[in-house]
Amino acid sequence: MGQSENLAKFNERARAVQTVVAEAGSLAAAFEYAADLTCKQGGQSVAAPGITGENLALLASICQTRSLVLLTENLREKIGQIGTGLTVADWGIAETATLVMDSQSEEIRIATMLSETHVAILPKSRIVPDAAAIREELTKMMKAAPGYLAFISGASRTADIERVLTIGVHGPQELHVLILEEDGR
Amino acid sequence: MTKTPHDLKTYKKDLKQALGNTFLGATLDAFASAYPASRATAFAGIDFDALAAEIAKAKDESIPNLEKLLEEFTGRAQEAGVTVHFARTAFEANSIIASIARENGVKRIVKGKSMTAEETFLNAYLEEAGYEVTETDLGEWIIQLRGEGPSHMVLPAIHLSRREIAELFTKVTGKIQDPDDIGGMVKVARRELRRKFLEADMGISGANFAIADTGTIGLVTNEGNGRLVTTLPRVHVALVGVDKLVPDLEAAMKILAALPRNATGQVISTYVTWITGATECKSAPESRKLMHIVFLDNGRLALAKDTFFSRALRCIRCGACANVCPIYKLVGGHNYGHVYIGAIGLVLTYFYHGWKNARTLVKNCLNCQACKSVCPAGIDLPHLIKEVYRTVLNVEGKKPLKNLLLKKALENRRLFHFLLRRASFAQKPVVEGEYLRHLPFLFSEEHRFRRLPAIAKVPLRDMWQNINRQVDSPRCRVALFGGCLTDFVYPEQGQALLALCRNHDVQLDYPMDQTCCGLPAQMMGERETAREVAVQNIKAIDPAEYDYILTLCASCGSHMKENYWKLLSEEPALAVKVSQLKDKVIDFSSFMIKVLKAGPEEFRGAGGKVAYHSPCHLCRGLGVTKEPRELLSKAGLEYVATKGEDVCCGFGGSYSFDFPEISAELLKRKLDNVEAAGAESLVTDCPGCVLQLRGGMEKRGGKIKVKHIAEAVAERKK
Repeated sequence: MGQSENLAKFNERARAVQTVVAEAGSLAAAFEYAADLTCKQGGQSVAAPGITGENLALLASICQTRSLVLLTENLREKIGQIGTGLTVADWGIAETATLVMDSQSEEIRIATMLSETHVAILPKSRIVPDAAAIREELTKMMKAAPGYLAFISGASRTADIERVLTIGVHGPQELHVLILEEDGR
Repeated sequence: MTKTPHDLKTYKKDLKQALGNTFLGATLDAFASAYPASRATAFAGIDFDALAAEIAKAKDESIPNLEKLLEEFTGRAQEAGVTVHFARTAFEANSIIASIARENGVKRIVKGKSMTAEETFLNAYLEEAGYEVTETDLGEWIIQLRGEGPSHMVLPAIHLSRREIAELFTKVTGKIQDPDDIGGMVKVARRELRRKFLEADMGISGANFAIADTGTIGLVTNEGNGRLVTTLPRVHVALVGVDKLVPDLEAAMKILAALPRNATGQVISTYVTWITGATECKSAPESRKLMHIVFLDNGRLALAKDTFFSRALRCIRCGACANVCPIYKLVGGHNYGHVYIGAIGLVLTYFYHGWKNARTLVKNCLNCQACKSVCPAGIDLPHLIKEVYRTVLNVEGKKPLKNLLLKKALENRRLFHFLLRRASFAQKPVVEGEYLRHLPFLFSEEHRFRRLPAIAKVPLRDMWQNINRQVDSPRCRVALFGGCLTDFVYPEQGQALLALCRNHDVQLDYPMDQTCCGLPAQMMGERETAREVAVQNIKAIDPAEYDYILTLCASCGSHMKENYWKLLSEEPALAVKVSQLKDKVIDFSSFMIKVLKAGPEEFRGAGGKVAYHSPCHLCRGLGVTKEPRELLSKAGLEYVATKGEDVCCGFGGSYSFDFPEISAELLKRKLDNVEAAGAESLVTDCPGCVLQLRGGMEKRGGKIKVKHIAEAVAERKK
């Protein structure tokens, strides 16, 4: 499968699990998307523990113009106050619309588990057709212990009451994936 | 608490109560109706049988090596900062976990969903030891609050209605909850459990995989509670059955490709989490999680060495065997398993929770093969269930009277057929047309849901000489295997076959030494008797003499094709004959289409609307689905689709005599569906199904004629 087919497949599968997919022309555009979404949903803060250096400075200024608090560390103390968790995915698996995310850092985990909305930036070049295509890389990551590797395919869901699908039981209530043209990592 | 009746009388009382629970009946029926389509969509583009074969192969390679895999896993995990424990028994596992809690000054525990922890009754143990334990999977939390066990391995609270849950949540929160606001109730759980996560000192999870070459555990979840349980508390304990060990990620990914698709019709679950070693945890000393993995044996390693039952360890806990089980659909998981639910539950209960808990449950199987057809690890579940039943009978050392009678009768064909002829004579005073007027005295009220047929005045074998013609230089030679019902109850089905063969140059034979196929013996756990009659039949019908061995009974056909091999493959000379037999057994519809190549020119054109019942042993046992429908259309009959066409009619041979309540309900639903479809007749390819369906239709005074497909097609012949 070529890259455009991978992307099309990813989109199709994502829709089936209520993941919102959008394209972002640049990292700045992705940050603006996340910040605007947070404002729209009435969130007060963006947690972006994995973003560093110049990129962090860029995000900080975007948040500032919208009066959003930018959180980057000690997220355990901020549980309950995180509007949006903003992270960059390591891979996207087209077959199942799965984000693969190295989550060894506790901060990354809290940002992706205990935010109201999770926005993940996924560089287009990192979309692979299926999990088998990255099996060696994944095994390598697992061998570099300790490790907490997350496959995320949609927002938290349950069907435990009369099999009625309900989104957002424990984790984020929405998942947005921003496909980035450039490699933003 | 999980409580399973040890005696049939109490069990039947429970079943009756479940059958009267209209919510349960409706919700499980809705689930069973929706499941096949969502499963099919999830598997689109994937060769399920090939995947199941791969998983079976990978599991079969791991199962004899579990100890080696455990050693490799332990080495890797310890290097990564994990303390690995090995518990030989459930009690040992619980006490290890309690001591981890004690040594770390734990007070509050949050738990992710784990069937293994259900198996060891971990919560009860920890609560007894003074810990507060909170289940955090929504379904598990609900049943914990109600003091129940799960009723499904994947959907633990599927037996409960929104109203019951609203009442429960009203009690928990002190605020009235609206049963129709399911989203609102889910938010209640989100709020209540969020607090529990933040307060907990220890998280307990299970694992779907333990990958030996990286020391990684894998968790497959949807709600995200598993991620919180393994992230927030400073201590994490994973309780893992040793059967979850796989050599590498490749093996785990194969299972992952099938697990969510087969469980819930999702291509993947929302979260799959791979944890290797003690990860970062800022509430723990030195910001490093106190990570423990407790491997549970509890009989698994011994099971792994059992040459036959070891295949039960292939199970990946998807729960699909319950999803498709027609009995589960009627009575729910609390009546269809002890801790483990569904077909695999009937098997595992004996090994993990003892024969007393297994003895009544294990009888409750129709052998309809639905579970086997969806098992992603290729486990022949009905066969395993029958073998557990046989083992339980041996353990008890006391067999039901019917087993002894059947054994005596079947071991001697002459005696058996003498008895059948005598019965035909003895029944005379109670015969009314083709049915028995009264049921024999040994049948109770519950058996009156269908009329039973009378035994034919002249069995097929006695008229054969007169009705079968000899063909000069035939194109092929065919042995007809009558089976008891066609031979002694419905000889007209054999006559219909001969009428259809009239203008074809095939020679039919009825080898007179043939006897019962042996399936009833197999169903009753009488393997020795089943073997004995299999040998008799192979001697009676030497497959080398025939091109085909044709049967009008799908059950006889699939039993001969599949089970004779299981019974005799290790016996030198017989194995060859069985293998030849296997290749020559053919069902009626396939014979008409593939061998006789029956065409519309033989029939009288348009002949009315027919519904079709797909016999379990034809569509799943022999894998024949197209031919009967094709034959109907060739014969000018208009096939009308009905709901649940391939769901068991509830006959199941002796099953319908053992569990008449369930048999009656399955029959009722089947006939309701047929009547709703607006057909003039109902046809099927198995005299057992004819007995059930025709007897039920007669009893309810329905207008639809029930026919064997041979009769229906023969009526249309020019």
